[in-house]
Amino acid sequence: MKDFTASRRTTLKLLGGAAAGALGVPYIIRPRPAWAQSKVLNVTTYDKFLPADFVEKFQKDTGIQVNIRLTDDQGKQYNLLAAEGANPSTDMVTVAGHRYTQFIASNLLAPLDTGKIPNWKNLNPAYQNAPWTKVNDKLWGLPILAGYEGLAINTNYVKDPQSWDVMFDEQYKGMTSYVVSDFMTIVMKYLGFDGDFTTYVDKPEEAQKATNAARDFLIKQKGMVRKYYDAGSEVQQMFLNEDIYLAQCWSGPAAKLIAEGHPIRLSVPKEGTFGFCYTLNIVNNAANAENAYKLLDAILADPAVGASMTRQSGFASTISGVPELLNDLERAANSLPQEQVERIVFFSSINRDMKNEMIDKATAEVKAA
Amino acid sequence: MRAYFNDIPRTLLTMAYWAFVLYLLVPLTLMMAMSFKDANFVAFPIGDWTLRWYAQVMQDRQFLEACLYSIVIAAAATFSATVIGVWIAMLITKASSRWSGVLFALACLPAVVPGMISAISLRVFISTIDLPTGTAAIVLGHTVHAVPFVVVMALTRLRSMPPNLVDAARDLGADSIIAFFRVTLPYLGPAIVGGMIFCVLLSVDDFVRTFFLGGYRPTLPMLIFAKVQGGMSPEINAMATLVLIVTAAVGLYAEYMTRRSRSR
Amino acid sequence: MNSGLYQATLGAAVASQAGRLVLLAGVPLLWLVFMHIGPIYQMAKISFLVQYPLQAGQEASYTLANYAIFFSESIYFLPLIRSFIFSFAATAVTLIVVFPVAYYVAKVVRPDRRSKALLLLLVPFWAGELIRTFSVIMLLANRGALNVLLRELGFIDRPIPMLYTSFSLGFGLVYLICLYMLLPLYSSIEKIPKHLLDAAADLGAGPVTRFRRIVLPLSRDGIVSGCSLVFLTCIGVFATPMLLGGPTTVMFPETISGFFHGASDKWPVGASFALIMLVSALTTAGIFMRLVGGKATKLM
Repeated sequence: MKDFTASRRTTLKLLGGAAAGALGVPYIIRPRPAWAQSKVLNVTTYDKFLPADFVEKFQKDTGIQVNIRLTDDQGKQYNLLAAEGANPSTDMVTVAGHRYTQFIASNLLAPLDTGKIPNWKNLNPAYQNAPWTKVNDKLWGLPILAGYEGLAINTNYVKDPQSWDVMFDEQYKGMTSYVVSDFMTIVMKYLGFDGDFTTYVDKPEEAQKATNAARDFLIKQKGMVRKYYDAGSEVQQMFLNEDIYLAQCWSGPAAKLIAEGHPIRLSVPKEGTFGFCYTLNIVNNAANAENAYKLLDAILADPAVGASMTRQSGFASTISGVPELLNDLERAANSLPQEQVERIVFFSSINRDMKNEMIDKATAEVKAA
Repeated sequence: MRAYFNDIPRTLLTMAYWAFVLYLLVPLTLMMAMSFKDANFVAFPIGDWTLRWYAQVMQDRQFLEACLYSIVIAAAATFSATVIGVWIAMLITKASSRWSGVLFALACLPAVVPGMISAISLRVFISTIDLPTGTAAIVLGHTVHAVPFVVVMALTRLRSMPPNLVDAARDLGADSIIAFFRVTLPYLGPAIVGGMIFCVLLSVDDFVRTFFLGGYRPTLPMLIFAKVQGGMSPEINAMATLVLIVTAAVGLYAEYMTRRSRSR
Repeated sequence: MNSGLYQATLGAAVASQAGRLVLLAGVPLLWLVFMHIGPIYQMAKISFLVQYPLQAGQEASYTLANYAIFFSESIYFLPLIRSFIFSFAATAVTLIVVFPVAYYVAKVVRPDRRSKALLLLLVPFWAGELIRTFSVIMLLANRGALNVLLRELGFIDRPIPMLYTSFSLGFGLVYLICLYMLLPLYSSIEKIPKHLLDAAADLGAGPVTRFRRIVLPLSRDGIVSGCSLVFLTCIGVFATPMLLGGPTTVMFPETISGFFHGASDKWPVGASFALIMLVSALTTAGIFMRLVGGKATKLM
């Protein structure tokens, strides 16, 4: 039986390989795949996160060839790594806050050894030992950008809201938008529950009750919302086109509009909200982990990289020296009054499985309703 | 009398055509107009006009390389998908009616699978056959996706092909292969051209499969998706406008050349 | 072609019954089995797993529970039904809109201008799916061209919300996929002999009769092909409904991708849902082809 399986698999390989080979003859001649070479670093990240002149200088200084795979979406990045299993084709990924623990739980990341990053001190001290960065007492990524889920308004039509209430105000019917899964946790907070599930460890009934309350609330409010969006560029476009006046919005995309001089304001309502970081991570089983450490160190050494990331994404940089490189508008776009800053709670790293499972299910239910 | 009857439907059809052309072109004209907007985000009103996005795009090596890479992949995928698709269509027409249904359903399979699922399953699949990610894998993925479209196009004409055409060729001493190349293939002409257009479009448009199967050399849609992620900028519109202008020019030139060679 | 080499190889193969069969069926069957079934087989395997990706050292265990989720929870049923209704409607609308256009290009335009007329319809598709979707947004948004125009003309005071509705979704869907209808229709109408239409007109058949008795039956292959392509593409399309649809138009592919994109690991459930969609869509297309295709096609 074992032999049969083996031979069937071999046939499969042969035939599949033959078909693929016939299709790509000119390209298959290359002796070894690019990621198996030693002086190479493969990075999956967003457009313009690593400025061209920085990459060029890094390549010249270290002799390491940097290959960049552009991504546009966290889900794709996760699915690709998961599909590749033990032989990842990338050494580094760029993970957004709410995905951090998912990547770790699926064994897709390698723990970070800060001893190998001499410039670690250039990371803003607030992020050097933040509790949410630690899972199983280990650090799994270099925080590069910080953001929060704010309430964005078009100031021409909406006057200084103090509460998330305004999202359900009849007067703005059909003028609001949000990301269902993100807003669900805020609604839980708004309804007086724990939207981050940290107090629901081993209390699934209580968590389910809280989730259901938020879910039913959002289903009841379905007539109010113009659109459930998914990407930052969508909410930017809706604001510009005046399809909406109000939205739950990640700080980055809104800050980019503000920095452009559009009549948008971002605030944290009194019920509070959640914060998160983008991190640069080394992949589990990465073929070129040592080179990845060198890149992380170079990024921390050069605030121009952080500035480029901020300009591209709108999010605030976590690297010292970056604000000095930004212009006034860009700086102002990311600043909040101190009392509002204190309302931001960073997503924790505990009880994620329960949270993800319940929120994803409830999200599907809200969308389908 | 006949001319009179002909005229009303003719006018209506002409109107339908031009209305449809408007439907296709108006949104694109807006998109092109936006490429001249002097701001970092696309939206009405346009306000100040500028050519700087074009200057930027035309100097952007990454954009030019992505275009070239997309063309190479599209050409390879189109060629292989056309050959395989027509071959499958031939098999379906020759098969008994029970088998032709099964074969047809199999042939259509990749067209129905949503992109993400198809991409993931292809990624898992190529690792079981030890094919590394890269250009070959991308071409394979695009070919799999495009084959159903060629099959359906080819069948559109094959099914109603008069059988006596091939019989006549056989009577003249041609064996099956020669009859195929001399009779069937020319008869399929317009359908194959249509199928190839689908192949090129599907390949040039594909983003998810390309991301999963290759990746370190961006294709045009990968580049555009990555740029949209940072906000919809007129730069993207300028890229799309350039692509449109170049393809329209190539199309017109090809049309002119075929017409000239025919009239000779 | 009649060289000695040809005679020794292909020619010999064609001469025998078995050789002809291998030539005809070899490559297509291998391709279908390995390239079409292969990847789907991987997906199917995942759909029966309890967990995927497997952790290191973990044994794979199989279950039917992922399929049971679909049948036990009605909330997943609604998006599937919605997907089917939308795809049917989009297919019908596309057919009605595109048929006259295809007929015009194939039969009314002077032959020497035909390729130019086709080219004009083809060029817009080169902008790519994402750009074309954004173009539709530029047209239909609250501050889009249409609303601005209506307001300038004094028809409206406040913009009409057109985007993120069933209307914008339908508009955009047809905009994206009409080519899949146009080319099969063109290819089948083009081969209708002109003299048949002329003869019918000479015998006194009006335009309606000619359309019903000649054009429609003879272009049936094109209609069947075009409708299947449009329907099957519509069912699986993902980006456009997400970008142009509203809160009440969530389609099944979005539900499926929720399982792949969500923060909880649900690949097996997503895979099983994808297979459910695959089977139901192909079955529907098959039934449609049998009904409409009738005896003229040898299919099914």
